[in-house]
Amino acid sequence: MSRQGVFQVGMLVALLSLAGCATGPGGSIYVPAGGSERAPEPPQTTEGNDEAQVWRKSEQTENREPEQQPQRSSKPSYQDAGDALSPAALSLVREADTLLKSGDAQGAIVRLERAQRIAPRSAEVYFKLSEAYVAGNKLGPAEQFTLKGLSLAGSDTRLQRAGWLLLADIRRARGNLAGASQAEERAAAL
Amino acid sequence: MRVSAIGLVLLACWMVYLDAVVTSRFEGRRFEVPSRVYARPLELYDGAGVSSGSLERELALAGYRKGDGVKPGSYRRNGGHFIISTRGFRFPDGSEPRRTLSLNIYGDRIQGFSVSSGESAAIVRLEPARIGGIYPAHKEDRILVRLEEVPQLLPKALMAVEDRNFYSHFGIAPASIGRAMLANMRAGQIVQGGSTLTQQLVKNFFLTRDQTLLRKGNEALMSILLEWHYEKDDILETYLNEVYLGQAGTRSINGFGLASQFYFGESLKDLDVHQIALLVGMVKGPSYYNPRRHPERATQRRNLVISEMEDAGLIDSAKAARARGLSLGVSAKPSYSENRYPAYIDLVRRHLARDYKEADLRSEGLRIFTTLNPAIQYAAEYAVTDTLPRLASGEVGKALEATLVVTAKDSGEVLALVGGKDPQFAGFNRALDANRPIGSLIKPFTYLTALEQPDRYTLMTPLLDKSFTLEFDDGRRWQPKNYDGEERGEVPLHRALSKSYNLPAVRVGLDLGVPAVIKTMRAFGVVTPISEYPSMLLGSVAMSPVTVAQIYQGLATSGFNTPLRTIREVTDSAGGALSRYNLEVDQVADPAAVHLLQYAMQETMQEGTGRSAYYSVPKELTLAGKTGTTDDGRDSWFAGFSGDLLAVAWVGRDDNGPTALTGATGALPVWSRFMAQVPQHGFSPVVPDGVSYHWVNPEKQALTDEYCDNARLLPFISGSEPTQRVSCSGTLERKIRGWFEGLFQ
Repeated sequence: MSRQGVFQVGMLVALLSLAGCATGPGGSIYVPAGGSERAPEPPQTTEGNDEAQVWRKSEQTENREPEQQPQRSSKPSYQDAGDALSPAALSLVREADTLLKSGDAQGAIVRLERAQRIAPRSAEVYFKLSEAYVAGNKLGPAEQFTLKGLSLAGSDTRLQRAGWLLLADIRRARGNLAGASQAEERAAAL
Repeated sequence: MRVSAIGLVLLACWMVYLDAVVTSRFEGRRFEVPSRVYARPLELYDGAGVSSGSLERELALAGYRKGDGVKPGSYRRNGGHFIISTRGFRFPDGSEPRRTLSLNIYGDRIQGFSVSSGESAAIVRLEPARIGGIYPAHKEDRILVRLEEVPQLLPKALMAVEDRNFYSHFGIAPASIGRAMLANMRAGQIVQGGSTLTQQLVKNFFLTRDQTLLRKGNEALMSILLEWHYEKDDILETYLNEVYLGQAGTRSINGFGLASQFYFGESLKDLDVHQIALLVGMVKGPSYYNPRRHPERATQRRNLVISEMEDAGLIDSAKAARARGLSLGVSAKPSYSENRYPAYIDLVRRHLARDYKEADLRSEGLRIFTTLNPAIQYAAEYAVTDTLPRLASGEVGKALEATLVVTAKDSGEVLALVGGKDPQFAGFNRALDANRPIGSLIKPFTYLTALEQPDRYTLMTPLLDKSFTLEFDDGRRWQPKNYDGEERGEVPLHRALSKSYNLPAVRVGLDLGVPAVIKTMRAFGVVTPISEYPSMLLGSVAMSPVTVAQIYQGLATSGFNTPLRTIREVTDSAGGALSRYNLEVDQVADPAAVHLLQYAMQETMQEGTGRSAYYSVPKELTLAGKTGTTDDGRDSWFAGFSGDLLAVAWVGRDDNGPTALTGATGALPVWSRFMAQVPQHGFSPVVPDGVSYHWVNPEKQALTDEYCDNARLLPFISGSEPTQRVSCSGTLERKIRGWFEGLFQ
């Protein structure tokens, strides 16, 4: 498999990613600090607080274990698919695309890492990173980012298929033919 | 005659020597410029998680002033509404131009973000706060400026006050010296300098500060030599960068570029007339005219300079009058205080040491872009200093220390580091150098090793919670115990982890074999030797908090190791890229097995040893984690994560003495106090391929219905779920209640 071929699949992933950005699952729940908007701001430690601190009973940290509650099964938190790309992350992915087209793989990676920081649970960002590493002919990291993307694709078969195909191409380009056909089988089974 | 001939020869030799001194210093690199260390820039966009308070602190840290929001470097706040005028910044990957931004903060999130002037963008970076520097031995700090970048008024004002004939003299001005000598003789002491700018530069650059005649002579000779070799503009530019303008602790503030930042929090090119006048006035005595300490004296001096500027025709009288009427305009404090984050900078320096020589870091003016998140660091420091005094009193209380390491879960960026109960103390860095036994923090690695064998272990596999004795070949015996001394017969694996029972953990570990557990730990990044004694299964292995954070990274991210990083980029002083430290991921464990483990670590927070976290954390914030305690409470650990952050807390004594604390009562309160302050996403892992959830009755090892007693929704690696099913004897009423509970939850 030539680099060009891998890259073509990368573009397929790109198209899929950008097409799918507007929809997708709700993603993780965002919780403001202290659970309410008016959570007290911690005092400015830079001011050098000389006043003796007073501990209110209500603020005391409980050193004892909470009272034994009747055994109750808690609800585990999980989700079926990763988060959708926010418009801000999408704008960075688009910048990365432009850079990739102009042959600046490292520049694209810098944009995509910025996108990853604000959308760390989005499979698309990792597939894009993989694509940028393929363009820079660094297939090792490309494979790892594809795997990371796949770990977040969840039940989204469109993303799953794109990821497995990308992985198959990268593995083939690295000479791992068995791994490549395994990935292809996964894609075909979807 | 002969004496004067010898004198001339000696003088000539001396001149040759001085000439060599002058040229060698001027030809080489003239200044050792410290490296500048920056925090991560705050990213502003719709949906960004930030509270109004932390945005305001972040703006202050980046040297912004509360004001009209029109002038670059100022902002206006009205409740949750902010108008921010950025100054623009040259990042290694390109420039952020100046912009005016408008945004609202509601529920600790940015809404309605827009660019009201400047290039439009969906996401904008603020200038990063400068958080430290790596200084040359002489501790001089400066920001180099080029003459053509400096506001024209500055050198003109400087000349008007200090050296009117700068462009026409040859290094010294005999007329001024004569005038000064006269004045000094009259006063009986040295009251007037009469030095040219060239002489002042020579004095600072090459000579001591003693006022001796010999030194004066050398100064004059060297000034002439300097003028002979170099252009006036070159000398002037060097002067602007050399001149001493203040002191911040042990660090000296040199040059107008840094002084502008230091006193006004602004770039030199943005200064107004009255600010330029103040800096020029301070040349005469930076400490005497220190505008923060002696504002009246400084104002008088500034106004004198304004008058000199007016006399020299540099400004008209109206402008001068207006400038005199203005307040000093000095920022309340230096826009950053040095060594604010000693523990963090320590880690940055160790990371830098892999690729850079110390000498280069101290002198080449490198720009180091770190991953420090000031808001997270702030919350982390507060959590430590606020919680520690409540954990114990008396001698033990005094001896207690704590550390907190916070990383971004999916990128491995170290966001905050607290190295002890006094976060400002630049000494022993416990987060990096305190290697302490990790206790039960090891258990997830044992259970992960087990769960990677789905044919043998699932989350509901019953484990024996019963004591036993191991006898070694040399006759020594080891009899592990549960923390509470109880034995429960049989417990399902998920509960054995969430309640942190020792006996089942050791039994599982021995069943798998200690080397298998060590292999898992190696895969997750432990590089130090690990003893193969079975006691390692209860965490006798010692690690630093940062190492714990590293190995928990893979647990938090479905089995992907992500090397911890404190540095994103290093550039040279001109902004050219030198090093970039890219995000790396490396799959080291089966995501399906890690998902199962994450279930049990979530259970720890909801039902197990970590549940007291919800005394301070909002209950909507789903978390996963693990407590760790060593004998006699010598080490209290908590390692855990949310959707965004991974944090490791340790509490204990430097002398390794006992405390009455457990992981749940020592480190966990610190950890949860931190988590409660930071707006973030809850932990909600994506179900990986090959994992499915089933309602089961773990006691009966069978599938069951949701509304049954003891029903629990557990994830299984496909094929390992139970095959038999039990139905419960629940009444219809109970079933209906079960359905409705499901509906309204």
